Amino acid sequence: MIEDRLTREILNTLLRNGADFSEIFAQRRVFNNLRLEDSKIENSSSGYELGCGLRLWVGDSTFYAYVDSLEKNKLLNAAKVLSSAINGSSSLKVLNLTETKSSYNTNIKKFPGKVNPGSKKNTLEAVDKSSRDFSPTIIQVTSVLSDTEEEIYIANSYGAFSFEKMVKTFLAVNVVARKRKNVRTGYKSLARSSGYEAFDFKNPENLAREASKIAVDMLDAVNAPSGELPVVIGPAFGGVIFHEACGHGLEADAVMKNASVFKDKIGKKIASDAVTAVDDSTLKYRWGSYKFDGEGFPSSKTVLIKDGILQSYIYDLRTSKKLGAKQTGNGRRQSFRHVPVPRMSNTYIESRDEDSGSIIKSVNKGIHAREFAGGQVDPVTGDFVFGISEGYLIENGKISFPIKDATLIGNGPEILKRIEAVGNNLDFAPGFCGKSGQSISNEVGQPTIKVSKITVGGTEN
Amino acid sequence: MQDNKSYMIRGEKLIKICKDTAFRINKYKVDEFEIFTASSVENEIEIFKGKIETLSFSDSIGIGIRIFKDKSIGYAYTTVLDKSSIEDCIRKAVSNCKITGREDYNYLPGEEEFTFKQKLIDDKSLFREDFLDYNIESKVTLAKRLETLTKSKDTRIVDIDNVMYNDSISETAILNSAGFCDRYKTTTCFIYVNAISKQNGDTSTGDFFGCGRAPGDLDLEEVAEKAAGRSVSILGGKKIKSQRVDLLLDPIVSAQFLGVIAGTLTADSVQKRKSLFEGKIGQKIFSIDVDIFDDGTIPDGLSSKSFDGEGVIKGKTCVFKDGCLKTYLYNTYTARKDKTLSTGNAVRASYRSTPEVGISNFYLEPSDIDFSLLLNDIDRGFYVMDIIGLHSGANPISGQVSVGAKGIWVENGNLSYPVKEVTIATDILSFCKSIKKVGNDLRFIPLGGYIGSPSLLVRDVAVSGK
Repeated sequence: MIEDRLTREILNTLLRNGADFSEIFAQRRVFNNLRLEDSKIENSSSGYELGCGLRLWVGDSTFYAYVDSLEKNKLLNAAKVLSSAINGSSSLKVLNLTETKSSYNTNIKKFPGKVNPGSKKNTLEAVDKSSRDFSPTIIQVTSVLSDTEEEIYIANSYGAFSFEKMVKTFLAVNVVARKRKNVRTGYKSLARSSGYEAFDFKNPENLAREASKIAVDMLDAVNAPSGELPVVIGPAFGGVIFHEACGHGLEADAVMKNASVFKDKIGKKIASDAVTAVDDSTLKYRWGSYKFDGEGFPSSKTVLIKDGILQSYIYDLRTSKKLGAKQTGNGRRQSFRHVPVPRMSNTYIESRDEDSGSIIKSVNKGIHAREFAGGQVDPVTGDFVFGISEGYLIENGKISFPIKDATLIGNGPEILKRIEAVGNNLDFAPGFCGKSGQSISNEVGQPTIKVSKITVGGTEN
Repeated sequence: MQDNKSYMIRGEKLIKICKDTAFRINKYKVDEFEIFTASSVENEIEIFKGKIETLSFSDSIGIGIRIFKDKSIGYAYTTVLDKSSIEDCIRKAVSNCKITGREDYNYLPGEEEFTFKQKLIDDKSLFREDFLDYNIESKVTLAKRLETLTKSKDTRIVDIDNVMYNDSISETAILNSAGFCDRYKTTTCFIYVNAISKQNGDTSTGDFFGCGRAPGDLDLEEVAEKAAGRSVSILGGKKIKSQRVDLLLDPIVSAQFLGVIAGTLTADSVQKRKSLFEGKIGQKIFSIDVDIFDDGTIPDGLSSKSFDGEGVIKGKTCVFKDGCLKTYLYNTYTARKDKTLSTGNAVRASYRSTPEVGISNFYLEPSDIDFSLLLNDIDRGFYVMDIIGLHSGANPISGQVSVGAKGIWVENGNLSYPVKEVTIATDILSFCKSIKKVGNDLRFIPLGGYIGSPSLLVRDVAVSGK
């Protein structure tokens, strides 16, 4: 995207006043979005963005600027202005650039730009129909279909460059059901780092019916209980518990700033023996996968916890250098407008051998949580919450009534030790994660697990 | 470092971009069009242990084009403004019209559809010249001072994990084929600190922020005091038994609840049957006489603007009067559907999005009751200082709310001991009914709009803990 000679000229301009490191992140992005609501296509928009982020380091300080252009003069001028933010001199120079290799390769079959807009519209109309046909109680269906095609070029003063073409496809269905005064919602999404072959992975109409089923099943929900109870957390989106209770606390920027409960815990037991957890950005076509991270490092699989013992944090370049650890390829950013920070990619708890049915049977009185609305954590204290959007009471080892939405609240280090059982049905779910004002794609995953005791935020004593 | 001279104010240039684009669109067979151009120059500074951790500069611009053809709307945007990219953008917007549904109400707003007929806020309130007096060095100094100041507030504060300052000059212009052509510019700045405190093996965090139109508006002393106070006062917090109690909500917490309510008051959510307030105009929603306004013309309101996302003049709308629902919030499309006028609530997050319905400065009118009197009114209860998980714990469509909370237990009108790791659960309509008293300490938070609330005394809410 930027020729070799100009890349070196920009990197050297950035270095000239005493910087220790310089970097270029160029991005071209084509975006399409369709939204259907009230059974008609309400919004059809397209976007085109092009730009370049420039970064340099001096000691522990990062300086960043970007331009909405890849024109030579604008890039060089921005590099000059940014380098003048510091005053020193440097003998560092970039002489050669070598392309970074990645083991992650994709074979995109249906590029969004090649897909007829009419067939995208048909997909949403089919989604709408399948959702509504599921039950007469459905009063509204909102569905969104969006796709992006991106090119990303990254080069740095260590002499490395990378180039990646990235394609993403996203479909989400939000259903509202109403019976008398009860209004309930159901949400499902399908998101892949691939083209429209995503719909071969999962059928949109099935997705629509699943969303409707949640909304309809919840119409008869009873008040959720309050107080501490055992909770059986279902597979796939259930992995949000690990994402919040532990994942964010393992991101090395929090560790470096003394702002993580998991600081100084490498090699120590932080979870029950049943927990082995992994961050893996190389899972083919998953929502949180990539060839290179936002700093041009190849994607990789990192074991975070092995049989309850902490193995690694999640690093970007800056934190791995500062903490003297191995890079994990987790320096991610939303776009060329953003500074990369350590972020999870696809993060999950590995399967063990227990059957999910027997896990539910083992609970006398508790909750079975199947779908979630997301969560939040304070990594400093480890206190976290996550919201149940589809949950049931367990009475005498059996699932009984659906319950109204409730938030679960706990402390990460305590909850990890209370994971008593881990099932054999690992599955994944895509989502968006917000941190430092940046929203990025990732997946969470787990088999069915049981937490022996956690506070359920209901209303029934 | 960058000095003030390098701030690029685009001014009439934005209008020129709009006009040039309009000239290009005129070659296409379309019924109507609208061009929205927005630019912003931003600085962001993060400080850690007395040093610059990150310093970033940005300067961005983009245009969004809305095309109306055969009562269908197509949209496209671009951040690259050369001729061929703009031509591409127009072509995409035109072709996107073929996909969207036809709707008779799809046409540009006419002045006769505005509730407010003349501009109610002057440009000087939105754009403060003294903003330009601050260079990067002085802003870095400001952020460093907040770090030192916060740390000095209490010996139990061991670390400041984040001090962040950011500011921007934003410029917006709209031109449409119905004859509207205008622009405005704003300055804003924001500062944030998160303080970590420790005592007897327990760790606690407390954050606070300040915002305004120019760095001089930021009261660092207050931000430091509040962040430190919110951190240390929760130290040693424990879980309480699950029970129903009275809650005293800090303005920071009340405003977040109010934000959930605000989202359900747009005509769009009502017309699509996604609002709890559907069919409730004229009904008494609150049990006491609260007044709630959406006012896009408050001089120091960070969501104030001269006109909204489709060029309709901003005004002040009374949404609740004496606890009764008076109106929903409208853009022109939803107003036509309800046979009324736009309240100037078309909101655009950026040039990337089409105008949707949303709030501007949305607030609950304060009373004259001091915080201490509200506290005195509680025998046994919970003073909620912070909540966590609102985006996953509040469902604006079903109305169910369950969020994590921390604060201080109240016994006979006195603050007693810190509480953490509990939840509060209610539903939006019950919540409105259970508000019994309103304080005098109105505070605004920037949260999707600019939302303001005083402390609220709420009776008999479920708290879940042990």
